[in-house]
Amino acid sequence: MTSGIPGWLTRSRRVVWALAIVLVAASLWAVVARAPIEVQMGVVQKIVYIHVPSAIATLVAFGLTFAASIAYLATRAWIWDAIAASACEVGMVFATIVLVSGPLWARSAWNTWWTWEPRLTSFLIMWILYGGYHVVRASVAGNSKKTISAVLGVVLFLNLPIVWKSVEWWRGSLHPRSVTMTGDMRQTLLLSMAAWLVFFLAVFRERVRLEALRHAEEEVERAR
Amino acid sequence: MTALRVLAKDLKLHARDARFLATLALFSLSLVLILSVAFGPLFRDPAREASATLWAALFFAGVLGLTRALDLESESGGGEALRLTGADPFSVYAGKATANFLLMAALWVLLLPCAAVFFDVGTLEVLPEVAVVAALALIGYAAWGTLFAALARGLKARELLLSILLFPTLIPLWIGAVKLTRSLWAEGSIDAVRDWVKIMVVVDVLGIALAAWLYETIQEAEE
Amino acid sequence: MTLAARDIEKRFDRRAVLRKASLELHPGEIVFLSGPNGSGKTTFARILATTLAADAGTVTLDGRAVRSALTESRRAIGFAGHRPLLYLGLTPLENLEFFGKLAGVSDARARASRLLAGFGLEEFSGIPMEHFSRGMLQRVALSRALLPQPRVLILDEPYAGLDEQGADTLNTLLSEARSRGTAALLISHTRERIVPGIARSYALRNGVIEASA
Repeated sequence: MTSGIPGWLTRSRRVVWALAIVLVAASLWAVVARAPIEVQMGVVQKIVYIHVPSAIATLVAFGLTFAASIAYLATRAWIWDAIAASACEVGMVFATIVLVSGPLWARSAWNTWWTWEPRLTSFLIMWILYGGYHVVRASVAGNSKKTISAVLGVVLFLNLPIVWKSVEWWRGSLHPRSVTMTGDMRQTLLLSMAAWLVFFLAVFRERVRLEALRHAEEEVERAR
Repeated sequence: MTALRVLAKDLKLHARDARFLATLALFSLSLVLILSVAFGPLFRDPAREASATLWAALFFAGVLGLTRALDLESESGGGEALRLTGADPFSVYAGKATANFLLMAALWVLLLPCAAVFFDVGTLEVLPEVAVVAALALIGYAAWGTLFAALARGLKARELLLSILLFPTLIPLWIGAVKLTRSLWAEGSIDAVRDWVKIMVVVDVLGIALAAWLYETIQEAEE
Repeated sequence: MTLAARDIEKRFDRRAVLRKASLELHPGEIVFLSGPNGSGKTTFARILATTLAADAGTVTLDGRAVRSALTESRRAIGFAGHRPLLYLGLTPLENLEFFGKLAGVSDARARASRLLAGFGLEEFSGIPMEHFSRGMLQRVALSRALLPQPRVLILDEPYAGLDEQGADTLNTLLSEARSRGTAALLISHTRERIVPGIARSYALRNGVIEASA
């Protein structure tokens, strides 16, 4: 009767968290101490070390949501729903970081809070859409919550490339946003990306673990 | 055949609800009015402002039409009975989406002359092309709108949820419709913005493809 | 056709409504199911009719799982429940023709007229149903379920809202259906108004179905 939660959710929790915290600490130190202060923008430029990794984490998160949603529709196994919803939730947090850090950077770089820069605009659209995912998920009756969420997870993601492309076209080819860095800056950026990705995975796993515990509790009640 | 029967049924139901149709018409007209006032009284780029006004009004009023179509199915369980006939889900979707498209098209026919008159734009010459652009946009709106509406059926804040999901998703469609219409009204051709037609077609096709894949799943989900 | 439900489980928000409920319906038989309010009769009926999915257990039609051939299964089963399952903006005739045609009945209109006449609704058959009384809606709903002459009938509280004549018509139709080999499940609080012979009686209690006198 013991409904244990899947092993991969509990294995070496402390190690993963320790690794995440160490990496994040190291990257923050690198940002403050190692990365040089950029000539034109000054210290504010360093926002990029949280902005870019957060963007990557967001995309990984929403990609996970999509993949897990498909897996749920194919198998109807609860774990995929747990993964999809958890990834989306954590992704929303990182998306918010992107949307807050972006304007802060823009204010300093271009003297304006919002510039309709294509990628940032697309992030805003994604943020609203996946916010909608959570609202729908919270509103739907228990029995169909997983199915409806999965359908939404699939539908929203498949439309993203079109949205991205059209926002790019709409904006015209301005502000090429390729971040070319060398030396210390590049190293700091790479370290930051690794650190925040590991951190994302750690948080994401915790979140799925929470869902698994909830599911296990329901199983126990079911057996009563 | 199923699709046609569902279409006929939906159109009949809408036609008999004069009160709702009148409300929808008035609502969309008031949207056009508000936006015209916001842009006016002197219009700096009439073609653009008219186009934006027209499409904003259509998008918002459209949500009400979509929700109403949804309610007609769930009110007394007609939709459940439809499901229980064993009718092919995609055919049902096609019928409903077409009905929604026609309702939107009727709204467009109402609002187009208003926008043209208020902003003093548009000629009969470009009307066919403007209509084609509208058809492209409204097909996508109906396709995605019917899909999302089915997802949101039975939920309390249906209109709000539908808007939250539909509008961001259809941004490509919206931009395309506004740009193409504006271009036709201002320049009489779409040469400069021709590419947007492609994006709109892709959006339309994707919406229909997703419905073909997932509509049955949505339909069978418990309310 | 034989409709068999085995070990049906269903819960709503953690509350178990059906716990391993089982029942079989055989051709030419009328089975009676009763139970206190909130006992899950309607949920059970809806699962049999495939409009609701069970959490566990199987529903089979002549041995084949209904969920594996939804279209055929649904065409073989006629269902009438608490909700009218009709479009109130359409007339009775339009409703019946619409559902009948979609269910594959070619002479839907003729059958619809006959059924409506049988229930005394001729003069109302061309009027949109928005202002129909409960009893009128019930009669149209029953007509909808019976029109395709399905092999299995699931009727949840079919006599509710019916007057003497309505009940008589229903009983006649049920007898006809039975002699055609239809398997029927009647769910009701009381057996009083049911005239055609009942083959077996059951009661739904605590989420399970037990035989009753």
